Amino acid sequence: MSVARELWTGVALDDQIQAASSNPVILDGQALAVWRGEEGPVRVWEDRCPHRGMRLSFGFVRGETLRCIYHGWTYATDGQCLAIPAHPTLAPPKTICASTYPSETRYGIVWTKLDGGSNGAALPDLGPDEGWEPVRSLFVHAAASPVLEALLNCDLGQQGPVHMVAENAAEVEIGPELRVLVAVHAMDDERTALHAVARGPRAASERAGLARRLERLRDDIERA
Amino acid sequence: MTVTTDPVALNQWVPCAWDGQIPVGGSLDTMIFGQPIHVQRTGEDSYRVAAVDGTTERELPVQVRYTCVFTTLGDTPRPLPEIAEFDEADRRITGCGNVGVNTSPYRLVENFLDMAHFAFIHTDVLGALDQTEVLAYRTEHRKEVDEIWAIDCTFYQPAASKAATGGQLTRYVYRVMSPFSVMLYKNVVTDPSRNDAICVFIQPKRETECLAYMPMAIVDEVSTVGDLIDFQQSIFLQDRVILENQRPALLPLDPTSELPTRADASSIAYRRWLKAMDIRFGILEKQAA
Repeated sequence: MSVARELWTGVALDDQIQAASSNPVILDGQALAVWRGEEGPVRVWEDRCPHRGMRLSFGFVRGETLRCIYHGWTYATDGQCLAIPAHPTLAPPKTICASTYPSETRYGIVWTKLDGGSNGAALPDLGPDEGWEPVRSLFVHAAASPVLEALLNCDLGQQGPVHMVAENAAEVEIGPELRVLVAVHAMDDERTALHAVARGPRAASERAGLARRLERLRDDIERA
Repeated sequence: MTVTTDPVALNQWVPCAWDGQIPVGGSLDTMIFGQPIHVQRTGEDSYRVAAVDGTTERELPVQVRYTCVFTTLGDTPRPLPEIAEFDEADRRITGCGNVGVNTSPYRLVENFLDMAHFAFIHTDVLGALDQTEVLAYRTEHRKEVDEIWAIDCTFYQPAASKAATGGQLTRYVYRVMSPFSVMLYKNVVTDPSRNDAICVFIQPKRETECLAYMPMAIVDEVSTVGDLIDFQQSIFLQDRVILENQRPALLPLDPTSELPTRADASSIAYRRWLKAMDIRFGILEKQAA
């Protein structure tokens, strides 16, 4: 499966992206820097400083700015370059801007899409944002399509049918009190990540058990 | 990859071993520009280098200078540069071995020319986080030798060399001697009238796979050779982390793909020079579609 560029894809669990950190993520072969300021939401940028191509996932965070490790060029949350330390008195031209992607945090998952426009489907709608607990992320050595197929036929334990809430996200109801959302994240033709969250009174207590069942799913896919 | 067909790259002398790396009578197999080569040490001061294609060998020219063994695949190579400091009797001449770096050779040259990263990558050694400014300097294309020079460079350095005992405003002159070699002159901590000479000669094995050699001719009566090499290698290893994480690894020559600032004047001059000589090896825009 090649990712439709206008499709929102879950690329990380929100609680995995620590405050004041920048992290490398690959989506459909594109290198992304997923970063968070000392407070505030997660941002998704191209993993490349426009100056000399250094990966911004190696960058460091000060306040709500991301700084490139190579020369300290400092970027605001909208990608605009604010400071070039080699020339402390220079106001950087507006043309110096990191490439940004849309990002939204919903249900404990960070979503992005490679097409920055307003084309394409909306984010999955599973009701209110509150109450979702992270389960875990898994990395599977397989393309996204067999992973999706396996997910549709998976057994998370005493469950109802798996239904797709987007082309690349599935929801499973396990009894009346537990819902699981799994985002399928195509990294490239050979690697797929799954990001799972759960909601309901049993979400926290079932977390370890759900994680083990997802690991079994991964093992089944990789053995197939 | 196959061997490059780029005549500009082929007609350069490049290092293929450091002098002393191979014991007398021994040999090593390596590569330049995608071409497998065999380097033999036939005597104390003599080497034989051959291009190897299956079972056939083609002997290549050899010269040993600046602590390195050089060879070329071209018929009309650009001559090796003259670096007078290596002939001064009181200089400490040392080679520092070689370091593998997975990127294009041009990223290495640009990193070496760059003062703006000192404060961030060589913090408290070659630069300080509270003194990051790169003052204006001049670049020249010296047409008579066809080299790129950057002159009147200055930068505050907390520990400019192994011999340094405190911070100083270091004066630099940079000299790009070929697409794959660059050097700098920096004023000696103990004798402001003289300059240390530090070179980087690059062996491009493939387009994004290099070995870097760092011959130095240093004025320092105190430090051991081991100290000098340790200092240089520790600096270089800090740079390697950066170099292997620049994207793309191939150098873009389109001036809109990476945005320079005044501090990058030497890199701008280097890229223009590369573009004018129409070099293709390791250049992003010159890749076959």
